[in-house]
Amino acid sequence: MRRHSARLLATALSAVLVAAACGGGSDDAEPAESDDTTEEVADAEGGDDAADDGGAGGDDGDEPEPSDDPPPSTAAPLEDEDQLTSAGEGGEGAGDGEPTPGGEITWGLGGDGTGFDTTGAISPGSIRVVNAVADPLVGLDVDANWHPNLAEALTPNDDFTVWTITLRPGVVFHDGEPVDGAAVAANLQAHKDSPTTGFNFASVSTITAVDDLTVEVAMSSPWAAFPYQLVGQAGWMVSPSTIGQNDTIVSTGPFMLESWTPTDSARVVRNPNYWRADEGLPYLDAINFKFLDDQIVRTQAFEAGDIDGFISPSEADIVDWLDDDSVDVWIGTAGANEALIMLNTTAPPFDDVRVRRALAHSLDRQFLIDTFRSGLTETADGPFIPSSKWYAETDYPDYDPAAAQALVDEYEAEVGPIEFELRVQPDTAVVEVIEVALTFFADVGIDATISEIGVGQTVPLAIADDFQAMSWFQFGAPDPDRDYVFFHSSGGFLNWSNLVSADIDAGLDQARQTDDFDTRYAGYAQFQEALATEVPMIWIDHLNGIEAAVTRPELNGIGTSGMFADGTASLPMTDGSFFAWTGVWLEQ
Amino acid sequence: MVIARRVARLVFVVFVVTFLTFFLLDRAPGDPAELKAGLNATPEVVAEIRAELGLDDPLFVRYLDWLAGAIRLDFGESLVTEGFTSWDLIREALPKTLELMILAELMAIGIAVPLAIAAARRPGGVLDRVTSAGAFGLLALPSFVLGIYLSYVVGVQLGWLPTIVDDLPGLNDDPLENLRQMFLPSLTLALALVAVYLRLLRSDLIDTLQQDYVMLAQARGLSERRILWRHALRPSSLNLTTAIGLNVAGLIGGAFIIEVLFAINGMGRLTILRVAQEDFPVVTAVVALLTVAYVTVNFIVDLLYRVIDPRIRDGVA
Repeated sequence: MRRHSARLLATALSAVLVAAACGGGSDDAEPAESDDTTEEVADAEGGDDAADDGGAGGDDGDEPEPSDDPPPSTAAPLEDEDQLTSAGEGGEGAGDGEPTPGGEITWGLGGDGTGFDTTGAISPGSIRVVNAVADPLVGLDVDANWHPNLAEALTPNDDFTVWTITLRPGVVFHDGEPVDGAAVAANLQAHKDSPTTGFNFASVSTITAVDDLTVEVAMSSPWAAFPYQLVGQAGWMVSPSTIGQNDTIVSTGPFMLESWTPTDSARVVRNPNYWRADEGLPYLDAINFKFLDDQIVRTQAFEAGDIDGFISPSEADIVDWLDDDSVDVWIGTAGANEALIMLNTTAPPFDDVRVRRALAHSLDRQFLIDTFRSGLTETADGPFIPSSKWYAETDYPDYDPAAAQALVDEYEAEVGPIEFELRVQPDTAVVEVIEVALTFFADVGIDATISEIGVGQTVPLAIADDFQAMSWFQFGAPDPDRDYVFFHSSGGFLNWSNLVSADIDAGLDQARQTDDFDTRYAGYAQFQEALATEVPMIWIDHLNGIEAAVTRPELNGIGTSGMFADGTASLPMTDGSFFAWTGVWLEQ
Repeated sequence: MVIARRVARLVFVVFVVTFLTFFLLDRAPGDPAELKAGLNATPEVVAEIRAELGLDDPLFVRYLDWLAGAIRLDFGESLVTEGFTSWDLIREALPKTLELMILAELMAIGIAVPLAIAAARRPGGVLDRVTSAGAFGLLALPSFVLGIYLSYVVGVQLGWLPTIVDDLPGLNDDPLENLRQMFLPSLTLALALVAVYLRLLRSDLIDTLQQDYVMLAQARGLSERRILWRHALRPSSLNLTTAIGLNVAGLIGGAFIIEVLFAINGMGRLTILRVAQEDFPVVTAVVALLTVAYVTVNFIVDLLYRVIDPRIRDGVA
């Protein structure tokens, strides 16, 4: 009881101190949009919208039974189930009623745009804009399986060592240049050659433009999940003469970039030559993206009607707006970033699995969720949300202070006191969670101190292995292959935790080389169990509940399914669709 | 001669401040080369970028290089937004900050001077007591609280004015829309100044109104309004002028907060964002320019003293 009171006091004090230190902008730069790990890693993969990484398989195998796990809500239950977007819902078009063309909207961005070089590290703010001006070769259907989009078809050979991409005739870039085999091959080659993004294509050996409408991609080893790489950044095609250009983007999407002012705004306007223009797409005339870094400012601008929607409001606002008929809240269910603490398993004391397990046992994740997330998120014990078809039950260490204490005592008797430095981004929402996590560690005798790092320093520090522990946001791709390099020993410096595990490698490799669901599932189950045993990272929560989108009711198509050109329903934007702006419309 | 001495002092201050800024940012945690390398931050690539950016040169050499560029407004490339120079970003932001500061000063003076005159006419009267209480209230309110409150009441609740500045048209292009968007931020920034200016001018006016020459004017039958506006205001404005000059620094600080609160793409917001992103070339350029602006304004204020008070010009006071 005394400890509980002390923790509550620590929570309150840390909140007050952090708020004071940050001059009142207490909710600035929420993880989903401003965390630099998300920015430079997940987003290098096209993962800005949290769920938007990858997909859940083009496989035609059987899927597991639906999970019995509860929806991502505890303390603040969702009042309106229609506001939960999920695979299988929607599918009848962009929203309720018949879409009407015309109008323009203003969308609030929480993260700054840093440019549009599709072969570089693109920030979350930029990715939202790119989603409007570029539609990728491949999309995700409502079951999060890959589905051809800008490409007409993708066909593998028998052993998945060669993929043939067939293009649609007559598609042009915004500058009128044709989207032909040479252009697509040039884009894919640039992606492979880029030191920033090339790791995604490590298994790609050659990229060849066979003819005007065909590109052949050969692999050095079987890669059944390759199309998922083309759902995001690798799948965005830009006019060949602009490849690598950062200050503009000339792509194929429903909108064209009209202007961009760094740190302020971007405006995109309807593309009259869009390849789906005969379907009346896109509906909107223009989208103004306004960068609003402060949470309070975003909220007030939304309430005043100065913006029409934004992503990742504060937890308190989500809870309030769920009861407000004048606001639509869209919470994705297909996957999201995970909040976690990354451990460097080659740096003492985390080179000893007992310390890593002790840390996991000592942390009451539910307390953090109840305290800081208004109960909107779900405890994480691995990179997959329980509702994911890839999720497997594991023996990840539960909250058990006694077990943690025993491990600490054993380690300290052999080695000495456990002390470490935890590097944290200068983000109030992150710091306050970590401050309280530290009190849990202290309860079992682990002495941790916080070291704040600059925005953008997370990845360089991780690459240089210059950390013991670091707060982190990543993963959650519906298809695990998108996260391959971050766990596999061949990932090199991108294997952030430096853990080398034969079980993890074997599981990931097994799953990569086939499209048979059962075989893949078995591989990923092995991978998850190895992660739970080795504990290279301390999981906190799946962030679906707070990576919500809020819109005014007149705006349709944000949290509901869109359509592929062949009429197949696509995954909603809030569940990771990359081209959802195509089907967004405004009631006139 | 006096002016030449002051110009020399101005140049010296600019040198000192820019060097200190350069030095402090050089010592700040974080490596620009690592930041620029991003996911490619292997030791070899970082070393290559360091060489490319000249980061291996001694500090003083780098400073002189920077200074040589700065004179031509070449402050280097942004590390965060490749394809844009620091000057590109500043050129976009500077006019908005200048407009915000000028509007705030004009509003503050426009509100404070008539109120101070009215309050000084009847010291201790109802108006004097009300304005005094209001001034102290405004002084006690931090500008970010005032800004959020004004934005909430005027923007969210009443819906009269926008809560953010978005796609701001130029004053020449659409002055009404420009002023509509800039009104709330300018007012927020101005209100803190109103309190200072009002108290200062009121106090000086009360002193001036007790001078012999004012009593002589009264005895000659000049109207109260003429005495106040023509004979008392100018000699009472010396401290106000000083305060306006000194407040430039305060205004710049206030603009940092106001620009974030109202999403103005100005120098303050640019600085805050780029400090967090460790975009050192941009930050150094902004600090240098703000320093030049500050010392220049105070230099102009020094010159204005000589216009306002002939005793200073003649070396009497």
